[in-house]
Amino acid sequence: MTTSATRSPVPRDHPAAPAAGGAGGGRHRTPLTTRLFGRQPIGMLLATPYAVFIAVIFAYPIGFAVYMSFTDYYFTAPGVTVPHPFVGFDNYKTVLTDPAVLASFGHVGIFLILNVPLTVALSLGLAVALNRAIHFRTFFRAAYYVPYVTASVAVVAVWLVLFKSDGLVNQVLGPLAPDPSWLVNSVWAMPMIALFVTWKQLGFFILLYLAALQNVPKELYESASVDGAGAWRSFRSVTVPGVRQATALVLLLAIVTGANLFTEPYLLTGGGGPDGASTTPVLLMYQQGIQQGKPSTASAIGVVLVILVLIVALVNRRLTERSER
Amino acid sequence: MTAPRTQEGLGSEQDADRPVPVVVAAVGQGQRWRRFLVMGALFTGAVVFLFPFYYMVVASLQLSPNLSLGGAFPRPGNLSLDNYIQINASLNLWQSLLNSGIFTGGVLLGTVVFGVLGGYALAMLHFRGRGVLFSAMLLVLVVPFQLSMIPLYVLIARDYGLGDTYLGMILPFAINSTAVFIFRQYFLQLPSELFDAARIDGAGELRTLWSIALPLVRPAMLTAVLLTFIGPWNEFLWPFLITKQQAKQPLAVSLANYISTVQASTANPYGSILAGAVVLAVPAVGLFLLFQRHFVSTDLGSGVKG
Amino acid sequence: MRPSRPSRRCHGAVAAVLAGAMVVLTACGGSGGGSATDAATAHGPIKIWYSNNEQEIAWGKQVVDAWNTAHPTEQVTAEQIPTGKSSEDVIGAAITAGTEPCLIYNTSPAAVPGFQKQGGLIDLSSFADGTSYIETRTGDLAKQYASTDGHYYQMPWKSNPVMIFYNKDVLAKAGVDPANPPLATYEEFQATAKKIVDSGAAQYAIYPAPSSEFYQSWFDFYPLFAAATGGKQLVADGKSQFNTPEGLAVADFWKQIYAQKLAGNETYTGDSFADGKAAMAIVGPWAISVYKDKVNWGVAPVPTADGMTADQIHTFSDAKNVGMYASCTNQGTAWDFLKFSTSQEQDGQLLTLTGQMPLRTDLPTTYADYFAANPDYKLFADQAARTVEVPNTANSVEIWQTFRDAWTSAVIFGKSDAQQAMTDAATKIDQLASQS
Repeated sequence: MTTSATRSPVPRDHPAAPAAGGAGGGRHRTPLTTRLFGRQPIGMLLATPYAVFIAVIFAYPIGFAVYMSFTDYYFTAPGVTVPHPFVGFDNYKTVLTDPAVLASFGHVGIFLILNVPLTVALSLGLAVALNRAIHFRTFFRAAYYVPYVTASVAVVAVWLVLFKSDGLVNQVLGPLAPDPSWLVNSVWAMPMIALFVTWKQLGFFILLYLAALQNVPKELYESASVDGAGAWRSFRSVTVPGVRQATALVLLLAIVTGANLFTEPYLLTGGGGPDGASTTPVLLMYQQGIQQGKPSTASAIGVVLVILVLIVALVNRRLTERSER
Repeated sequence: MTAPRTQEGLGSEQDADRPVPVVVAAVGQGQRWRRFLVMGALFTGAVVFLFPFYYMVVASLQLSPNLSLGGAFPRPGNLSLDNYIQINASLNLWQSLLNSGIFTGGVLLGTVVFGVLGGYALAMLHFRGRGVLFSAMLLVLVVPFQLSMIPLYVLIARDYGLGDTYLGMILPFAINSTAVFIFRQYFLQLPSELFDAARIDGAGELRTLWSIALPLVRPAMLTAVLLTFIGPWNEFLWPFLITKQQAKQPLAVSLANYISTVQASTANPYGSILAGAVVLAVPAVGLFLLFQRHFVSTDLGSGVKG
Repeated sequence: MRPSRPSRRCHGAVAAVLAGAMVVLTACGGSGGGSATDAATAHGPIKIWYSNNEQEIAWGKQVVDAWNTAHPTEQVTAEQIPTGKSSEDVIGAAITAGTEPCLIYNTSPAAVPGFQKQGGLIDLSSFADGTSYIETRTGDLAKQYASTDGHYYQMPWKSNPVMIFYNKDVLAKAGVDPANPPLATYEEFQATAKKIVDSGAAQYAIYPAPSSEFYQSWFDFYPLFAAATGGKQLVADGKSQFNTPEGLAVADFWKQIYAQKLAGNETYTGDSFADGKAAMAIVGPWAISVYKDKVNWGVAPVPTADGMTADQIHTFSDAKNVGMYASCTNQGTAWDFLKFSTSQEQDGQLLTLTGQMPLRTDLPTTYADYFAANPDYKLFADQAARTVEVPNTANSVEIWQTFRDAWTSAVIFGKSDAQQAMTDAATKIDQLASQS
């Protein structure tokens, strides 16, 4: 390989990358095909199945949901025509002034504050530990992965038993146990759900980090130890930047999972918890849209939720990718 | 000559020819102590993590439910496989497992084939609509299922007429967007020298994909398979909506049906539920154990040296 | 870098795929439903759904076999749907997609207004003998199942009158007379409950589900409210009826039970009565098949403030009905089958096989032999004549959810004042019920 190709790494997103030993001078007019289809239109072909999939499966339902959020809509049997009057932002106004809805967003906020940092820190730490050639590595990896693999429905039953007012945990804690027990305590209900989801999802994120760690070249660690870096320094300077892409993904997925929380509040706290202390927006969407037959307000909640999450995801992306290139 | 990495954070351009200092020997003691600590922490963590699952297995083996502290360490007299036999008698276990397998297999196939292509295109190739597609992918990841549930059901059951079919079950999950994201991230992380070398040698894009990218994608493929597996395997709501014939229902749905009727017929309904959950979990754990061996460093540097 | 002339093959391939995609998408546009004008008299094969409860499956299979043998050109195919939280959601989704069957033997009365609004239910009164058949079979109680326009969009099928089950052994252990436990008035009931828990015979006196699903109030508040008011519904003529001294008395009764920890406020996995955790249960006769081997049970009517004789006490019906749904093309057969499956003989089979009470007038005399052989069920048959249904009103599910949210906050967790919570709920519910 020539030195010129290696000194300045070619940024992938940069369209006008200087070619190493390139095809002399290319400053003539970019051809029509390139302007129309991009430099590598074969990409369109490769991406088409996925694009078609998204268009066919998601475009219609999501578009329809947005449409519903602007009208007074309810589902009808085929062949039954009812007027669906356009109501502008009325549904959004109703939703954003409903204290139950605002409370549910607050609960998700609590969840994210507890769950996301814990998830990132624990999963990276555990992945690093599990990546070493240590005894019983397979056992440990399996141990952390098993909760992720088990169906929520079943594992929730176990947690309900463990955290009852006379369950194992309280028996062990004795007088330290909180008085309305964990899951019926309006202060502890949401943190318990955060703990449960962290425990359950950790295997997934450890897996992501394990895969990313394989791509951190060993030479870097060797160079670091040669330079006298200890374990912590080498973790900070080699590992953490080396898995930056994975961290971005983990953050994104943890945030999305947290924002879309439905199954756990539904199962662990019986549809909203003590005095509605663990409702989430998606739970309300389910109640209103599917049980109560008001899909327009449910869609409004959904659209607001999606917008909020997209904002957070965008911020996340800016923060993690800013220092690159 | 060795090529320096293009990683951030450690711009060291030294090659590995420098002599290793003799300080290594003195570090040995500290390392062992630290290793014990790490092992201890890992072990405690593993116990905490596994405990609910252990409790689940134990409870599923019990004849009569014992929910106290002592129940965690069962008496031999109380152990039996009754709950499992019960489940096998109530559901057609093999048919359900088969349906789960077909459902999950279809999703894996779609994701592995089309997801890799999509992820590769999004990462490496410039084409019109790339940004739009990427944004669409993010949107799909973000939108909760409950928002699109009814229109999606109408679309698939009524408009496409796919109720009570495997295709209808598979379709909404056919290409897992998380996996596409993972593939894209992975391809972005590969050293560009690999592709530059291929281009210089005059390979077209398809050739590059086939000969260079695909052989290297194995770690990401494994991750994606393991992660994509869980979704359809444990998915309850969608197959529940789309299938009514019991012969087509996957195990997660059959189990949920079983749970709702099990109170009346068994001595230990709680144990039966957990037995079902263990049955559902075993293939997934087994698959993981099989594949996790492959999570070892592939040392990509070797592809670029020389 | 890369040759600036992309291969011609790629163009062609891309164009072909995109065109193909477009064709697929346009061809798969939504198609509407067909006409239903001749459906009312058409005869032919139909499909039905029933619940996956073991006994109901047994009943369902025999009634379908009996019909199919007699009607070879009008075969009935049956499928099961699970009872439980999601069955109404499944039916609602199926209605929207037009994939629901002709008859569903698991239609909850609370869901009927919603299905009707969707245009998913067929007006049974449109059949020549529709109204007369229903009212002859079910008698006075039938009126509760009519919709606001006076027509019947559901066929009242079976009820499970809610009563108090008690565990005779546990009561005996606590020093309460198991043959005649004092459970008639609120005071007596609370005293008995306290005695049971204090003696340690059971951890809880009674354990209705404390979770927030909209239908849970049917098993703690509503039966007692029906009894206290002599048969009133939650809402009537667009106005709530529970923000009254009787309603508040019921709320106070339960509030004290929860405050003294005589009932649990955490979800219990399993059946607390069958497991011996709770000395009593408030449930209908379907539970007898669950309890018969596990618990030595007795039954009593729900308590009232000052006590009433059993033949005056009303309770919640916990009925499940049959609906005929809009996608049905052979409605003639569906209506005939519906009448066949609710005939005296088939109702008798239902009673024998499941122990649930068909919504038929005068059960004790019609099936005297059965009740002579199974005296356990006689109490329920008597009670079945005085049941109260959920009100057939707009926004029915949302109304119950609003009520339940107020209930859990004020009564179960004692976080707010019961009177205030009831008043606030009543205001909101009035508004919901008055929407058309």
